[in-house]
Amino acid sequence: MKFIINDEVLLGVEKPSRYVGGEWNSVKKDIEKVKIRYAFCFPDVYEVGMSHLGMKILYHLLNSREDTYCERVFVPWVDMEAKMREQNIPLFALETQSQVKDFDFLGFTLQYEMCYTNIINALDLARIPLLSNERTKDHPFVCAGGPCAYNAEPLADFIDFFVLGEGEEVIQEILDVFLIWKEEDGTRDQFLSRIAQIEGVYVPAFYDVEYNQDGTVNKVVPKDEAFPKKIRKRIINDLDNTFFPDKIVVPFSDIVHDRIMLELFRGCTRGCRFCQAGFIYRPVRERTPQKLVELAKKLEENTGYEEISLTSLSTSDYTGLKELTDDLINEMEPRKVNLSLPSLRVDSFSLDLMQKAQKVRKGGLTFAPEAGTQRLRDVINKGVTEEDLIISVSTAFNGGWSGVKLYFMIGLPTETNEDVEGIADLGDKVVATYKAVPKENRGKGLSVTISTSSFVPKPFTPFQWAPQDTMQMLREKQKLLKVKIKNKSISYNWHDSELSFLEAIFARGDRRLGKVLVKAWQKGCKFDGWGEHFNYKVWMEAFEECDVDPHFYANRERTIDEVFPWDHIDIGVTKNHLIKEYQKAVRGELTSNCRTSCTGCGAGVFEGGVCVE
Amino acid sequence: MREEYALSSLRVKFIRGEEVKYISHLDMMKVFERAIRRSKLPIAYSQGFNPHPAMVFGLPLSVGVTSESEYADFEFTCDIDPQEFSQKLNQNLPEGIRISLSNKKQTKVNIMASIVVADYEILVATAEKQEHGHIKSVLDSIMEKPEILIEKESKRGRKEVDIRPMIFELKTKFSKELGSDNNFESENGFQYIENPFLTNYINKHLDVPGFSSYNVENVFSISLKISAGSKSNLKPDLLISAFNLLSDLQLKLVKVHRTGLYIEKEMRILDPLSNEALS
Repeated sequence: MKFIINDEVLLGVEKPSRYVGGEWNSVKKDIEKVKIRYAFCFPDVYEVGMSHLGMKILYHLLNSREDTYCERVFVPWVDMEAKMREQNIPLFALETQSQVKDFDFLGFTLQYEMCYTNIINALDLARIPLLSNERTKDHPFVCAGGPCAYNAEPLADFIDFFVLGEGEEVIQEILDVFLIWKEEDGTRDQFLSRIAQIEGVYVPAFYDVEYNQDGTVNKVVPKDEAFPKKIRKRIINDLDNTFFPDKIVVPFSDIVHDRIMLELFRGCTRGCRFCQAGFIYRPVRERTPQKLVELAKKLEENTGYEEISLTSLSTSDYTGLKELTDDLINEMEPRKVNLSLPSLRVDSFSLDLMQKAQKVRKGGLTFAPEAGTQRLRDVINKGVTEEDLIISVSTAFNGGWSGVKLYFMIGLPTETNEDVEGIADLGDKVVATYKAVPKENRGKGLSVTISTSSFVPKPFTPFQWAPQDTMQMLREKQKLLKVKIKNKSISYNWHDSELSFLEAIFARGDRRLGKVLVKAWQKGCKFDGWGEHFNYKVWMEAFEECDVDPHFYANRERTIDEVFPWDHIDIGVTKNHLIKEYQKAVRGELTSNCRTSCTGCGAGVFEGGVCVE
Repeated sequence: MREEYALSSLRVKFIRGEEVKYISHLDMMKVFERAIRRSKLPIAYSQGFNPHPAMVFGLPLSVGVTSESEYADFEFTCDIDPQEFSQKLNQNLPEGIRISLSNKKQTKVNIMASIVVADYEILVATAEKQEHGHIKSVLDSIMEKPEILIEKESKRGRKEVDIRPMIFELKTKFSKELGSDNNFESENGFQYIENPFLTNYINKHLDVPGFSSYNVENVFSISLKISAGSKSNLKPDLLISAFNLLSDLQLKLVKVHRTGLYIEKEMRILDPLSNEALS
């Protein structure tokens, strides 16, 4: 089909350059000369999707194969979508402006639950049947990966196969099977049966879910013995010798993270009990400083970017941080490249580093104590004490900083009003710390910002059994905190609890939510993560019309022996370990960092990283 | 950071093609900044907290407009050969942007401050099929008026301006075959268009059936020489809306392409890359 996105369409929409491609380092290939066409879709707008490191890695990895052409697809913003629907323009890929339906694969990355309606919308715009079982050989295989794929049961009806864990190797194995299958001219089912036997590939249609009378899951069983009972995630053990792009696409317009991202390591050794990333990405595996500096130099030369950011789940925990930052500053300062250092634990070393690396104004520093009292911080295994925080802010104030942001969660398991009030107390102590710093040392105009988000229990964490506070409870806690914060230097803002409620439903959802997704989408829901488009009322109507109780998913406390919709997925960390962690949490007991001592979580089966060091 | 002083400067002429016409002016500068970084050319940086490369661009182009005649000035920390500069930068620019000429610049006056006139070739379509003679005479009669008053939006609000003194030349060109028995479909009917950029656009776009809301047969071309720059600036879209206010042609702007920019020096209108302009 020939179509052209004409000037009249593009001149009538916001930021048209995000729909035309052609950016520096974007890949051009002759579609007649490749055997596999892969459409990689980030189910949000260009600016968000282009900021995602995983997409950059897989885009360049797939294009490093001569037989494959990977193109990028983003969801059009609402103004563009309206024009596309009006003018009959299907969802298209940026590189060749071909329609997505013509590709062999359409791969989604699932970074947050609130993108699910965008996936339904993208399939519809692409004119691909929404339901997996309605697709024919004329349609691409629709697959998905990313953190939400670990429990993507709500998407089971729409996705042909999920890829669990890190994709660098498994995607290649899938494509190799595809080449053979294409040659043999097999059926769709034949292809899916074959890849279902690759470790890390989950074909939901090959598994039956049985439910109990009370609505909980009884069991999930493969339809055929050939398929694994448990699907284990994939990881890459040797990060230094695995593919990392030495050039990345440089967008024409501003994107959310418009800089080089250097991935220091995967996983996290800390074991904060609320944090899903901390469990699903285990074990910790690092790149060496030498490799990172080498990559940084190539990336800088090939992109012309003026900023490099170090990324990981907890940059301060990188064992080679000093060596790496010293070398990077030496290499990059003459080239006028800034180093940005997100999520650093604030101590004298990191403050010194920030002063050296970034010409930042001494504005805001961010701290995440997560909870207001030591008791609750121990429950979540945060491993930070009030003293740590006060020493950190004191160091920062003495170094001339005058603005701090403090992040907390409300609604954590076992939380009481005392814990909520503790947040306000902590704020006051930060103000007192500032006042104790000599005037000549500290910056002018103290500003303390306290932000609270609402806790969302996630699968594969020790809190996967815990109920989410009802919205009523969350709002009362927000109100309580608002009253308790009296100091004029402290401002308080909080996240909307309606969105957190919806997140909690889908995070621990099952296949029965698929019809709610379609219903909500039919009623106009999309871009739910964008405040201006999120429509809570319509969502609740969709639940009601589908006769599904959202509270069953969000606010119900699970018994320890409950079978979860995601129990057939194996992340390495065992359910037993998570049960122990949950019980320790309730008792307020801490668990040590992986580097201090091994807790036998189960991630050792991968025989990599910190587990074998 | 080391302080740097500009020791030499260049003026370049470049093309902005179809591929990059949706980039905003600000983003275009970013594209050049990063291309220069990739090419490792010794550009000078401004001093201060947030150093910026020393480059000045001529007249910003609206989103959607192409040009074969954009200009920019660059300053360097050492002497640099114009040819080497063009070659290295072209290797590092995305498709659609090409340096076509460059030359050493002695004058301290930058390109942005001195632009006064711009040439455009634009494609417009009438809502209904019209006799060429009629279109021409309507436009001629508008051009014969002593003044053409139109409301222009500026930062200070709306004000009425006379745009007639801003129009130096206006030439219409039509397809010869139009209205005759010749089959419009057999050849695309745009042989009268000589500019290769416009021909390229036509071949890529106007041939696609059902491409746009206007009828391709009603398209004709206008060549313009009009005021441009900081003192007095007329954009083709404003001119077309003026024509629509003063006539019932209901013109629709199909495509705008800039073909030239000129500077003023000592009361003379010059090519920005001429020796007189650069000295």
